[in-house]
Amino acid sequence: MKPRFETCCLATILLAMASPACAGSNSDAAQWLERMSAAMSQMTYQGTFVYVQGDDVETMRITHVADEEGVRERLVSISGVRREILRDSKGVRWVKGDDLSVMEDKALSRSFFPEIPLGQSDQASASYRLELGSSERIAGHSGRMLRIIPKDEFRYGYNLWLEEPSALLLKWELLDSNHERLAKLMFTDIRLGSEVDLDELESSSKLKEYQTTASGLPSGKGLSHSNPQWQPSQLPTGFRLTSHRYMGHQDQQIFEHLVYSDGLAAISVYVESTNVDENQPETGISRLGTTHAFSRVSEGVLITVVGDVPAITVQSIGNTVQRTSP
Amino acid sequence: MSKESREHLSCLMDGEINRETGRFLVRRLGADRELRKTWARYHLLRDCLRHQEGELVADDLCGKVQQALAGEALQIAPRRFSTAWLKPVAGVAVAASVALMAVIAVGPGQNPASTLPGEVAGSPQAEAFVSPQNILLRSPRAQQASVMGGRGASQKMNSYLLRHYQVTGSTGGKGFVSYIPIVVTQASPEPDEQDRAEEDKATESQDHGSDSTQQ
Repeated sequence: MKPRFETCCLATILLAMASPACAGSNSDAAQWLERMSAAMSQMTYQGTFVYVQGDDVETMRITHVADEEGVRERLVSISGVRREILRDSKGVRWVKGDDLSVMEDKALSRSFFPEIPLGQSDQASASYRLELGSSERIAGHSGRMLRIIPKDEFRYGYNLWLEEPSALLLKWELLDSNHERLAKLMFTDIRLGSEVDLDELESSSKLKEYQTTASGLPSGKGLSHSNPQWQPSQLPTGFRLTSHRYMGHQDQQIFEHLVYSDGLAAISVYVESTNVDENQPETGISRLGTTHAFSRVSEGVLITVVGDVPAITVQSIGNTVQRTSP
Repeated sequence: MSKESREHLSCLMDGEINRETGRFLVRRLGADRELRKTWARYHLLRDCLRHQEGELVADDLCGKVQQALAGEALQIAPRRFSTAWLKPVAGVAVAASVALMAVIAVGPGQNPASTLPGEVAGSPQAEAFVSPQNILLRSPRAQQASVMGGRGASQKMNSYLLRHYQVTGSTGGKGFVSYIPIVVTQASPEPDEQDRAEEDKATESQDHGSDSTQQ
């Protein structure tokens, strides 16, 4: 009996240490947010979830493995047309079963990833109000609710249910500034650690029969420019430049990519020389699910802003992008 | 189309519709081509009546729209052309169908200098926006919102999307959730060829005489 009693005590202490958010204060909520960010990238997990947007319901499966080989991930739709995302140290592949094609984007150097990791709670708290809610049972696990309420209309809000004590995401709701739900994700089953079947990292599609296309965007080392050559003159409150890459020389073809984040939402600003031979995106607003993009042409460059933010945000930022040096 | 349907459309433009009816109407807009056309005509009519600078619509097109509407018992009180309809647009639009997005999305061609004043070129620190409504109010005209990621999407836009997700989805935060939009099959109906041709024609008419900043 004694060993079992000691084990119980130890487990209780560990659980208390791992669950700092019992009081429900704002700082506790911020800690949950940071822990979620770490859990999503560093844990090994596998599960099936339902994604709902409007009247559309899609079932998907995620396998995320973080081990000595790095992070490997496969996200696949198991209802409707088969689409997959395969991610590993070589880069990202987007498998589209509807037209039997694969788009590949080679891995970027770590230097290009945001210097301020997304999910940074101190930055996020400037643009959002964080609240801890009660616990709920989801997919056999206890999930603690975290409300992330935007302070303006330039970003979405979130309701998150995080597994206790790991803070892994179990349920997710995307809300507009009027608290209307735009999309919802909920795991129906989830496995952790050694329970994960690594075989599911392999695509079940016959990729050899698919046509693979490179994204075509520069992935090598960019030139060093201390300041962006093009940038937005105005940004919604809280958005900061987190990474920047410039390729090209003056009077030649250029490609510039800037990433701005408010700690949770992130937008990319692309500035690229226009090429008449290339199939350019339509100018104006376009949409993919809850992701919006805005494109316009100015001074011989195509300016495109992409982000999982409301349409007004990409449009507003896109309209203020201008050259910073003559 | 019933008088009630037209009244509901008008209320939706003004943001004066109740939530349940609004949701029903948005679903209908996604499926009812006739309703979508009427919705588009109402916006053209509003543009014609407003005649504001930056919202140029060719006179002949205005005339055609007005002729088309002559036989319709459309009662639009002056208050309905207030800016109240813009308020629900920012919130409701994202959840709505592509048909609704087509109306609320704002097209290109704005001159940054005239849209958002302030000489900040070369400034390392970007200024903050004051209010999204201020920017919406200055938007020159509505434009069809296209759907990214589908068969007809440009290679360039898909490349931008994938790169964006790789950069922002790999460093914690939302993780795999970032990639979901490009895995979900887009069920939203794209306009058929005839609709597209009509939209192109309307766009060409609008572009004629408009002062675009595109180069």
